[in-house]
Amino acid sequence: MSPDEIRALAGEYALGLMDPVAALDVERRAARDPVLAAAVADWRGRLIELDDAASPQAPSDGLWARIEAGIETPSPTPAAALERKPSLFSRLWSDVTALRGAALAGAAASVALAILAGAAYREAQRTPQVIAVLLTSDNRPGAIVEVFADGSSYVAPLSDVSVPSDRIMQVWTLPDRETGPVSLGLLADDGSARLQPVSLPAPKPQQLYEITLEPSGGSPTGKPTGPILFKGFAERPR
Amino acid sequence: MSPPLSASEDLNAAALAACAQGDRSALRAIYDRESPKLLAVALRIVRRRDLAEEVLQDAFVQIWRKAGSFDPALGAGRAWIFAIVRNRALNQLRDDRHVPVEDEALEAAAARDGEIDDAYERLAEASALRRCLGRLEPQRRRAVLLAYVQGLTHGEIAGRLGTPLGTVKAWIRRSLLSLRECMS
Repeated sequence: MSPDEIRALAGEYALGLMDPVAALDVERRAARDPVLAAAVADWRGRLIELDDAASPQAPSDGLWARIEAGIETPSPTPAAALERKPSLFSRLWSDVTALRGAALAGAAASVALAILAGAAYREAQRTPQVIAVLLTSDNRPGAIVEVFADGSSYVAPLSDVSVPSDRIMQVWTLPDRETGPVSLGLLADDGSARLQPVSLPAPKPQQLYEITLEPSGGSPTGKPTGPILFKGFAERPR
Repeated sequence: MSPPLSASEDLNAAALAACAQGDRSALRAIYDRESPKLLAVALRIVRRRDLAEEVLQDAFVQIWRKAGSFDPALGAGRAWIFAIVRNRALNQLRDDRHVPVEDEALEAAAARDGEIDDAYERLAEASALRRCLGRLEPQRRRAVLLAYVQGLTHGEIAGRLGTPLGTVKAWIRRSLLSLRECMS
């Protein structure tokens, strides 16, 4: 990207103009690209003057108490995340940013998955090569995909989806641009499922996974045709 | 932009470091210092006071949890804190947008035009941002301000200004580049 492109991208991000998926992408890139991170920080440092131009508003008396109640749960240090506490599950729902911390995401996702999937998961417990936390369009955790060395995958929705009777959720990945999206399988009962091995190159970090809504029986074209319910990128568990 | 603060001058950066160590009084100090302004910023975006307080509540919990990831090399603690509140407010606003916009809401929105002019007029006389925004053609300046101050999307700005979407996108992009050049 040219310096101008980086400045404009960082500016659009700092203005708040990006949809959640694009914003997440910028955050992910900024975490690895110091030039982009500095460009975002520079815009924030300048635009904050517009925030300062707002007339101060006194918060209501109870607000601080509500904040304090919210931080009662211990902060999610990796050690805390590994303890299998139900509170972690609610934290997953309420705090997408915890998922953005890549180091934590693997551990947190595994824990949530274990809670959700129970016996079925334990039975099949092996180390996945990658885990993808798929987000809804408004940036909430929507589903988790774990991909194993034999090409099989385990998919668990994390939010309720009302699937019409003539539709089905279909799981896809994008191994590379030339191949295009490849189906991993269907979620028959609208719930978690272990999907049969698919012959694909080993999944890479940052590989795209998504779930779309397709006609029952799956997409008639072999490529996604319906709306995207959840999408996200894979990471290796840490 | 004002010169970067050193860690000892940046009260918020020091407080964030203390939060990361589990010091609640540091979060309280941030709250006491910044919450009236943060509430105002959230209110301009989400419009309803109860929602704005909810935004602040969620944002402060996030600030507490994420304090350890704050990197002083990437700007002041205050900008980091404001960014968290802004992001939370934008998410809140966009959650609500699953509901179709009523005519009434559009009228109320039009009545808010004064607010963005106000935000611009209230920038300090000596501010480079003010000087450089002032060089933009008024409709383009409004487009930039509608995005930042009220949290509107490209499409909503196009609707508000009665301008095609592609034009609005190009305006904002070019405005960002000329602002950047003007301020450097």
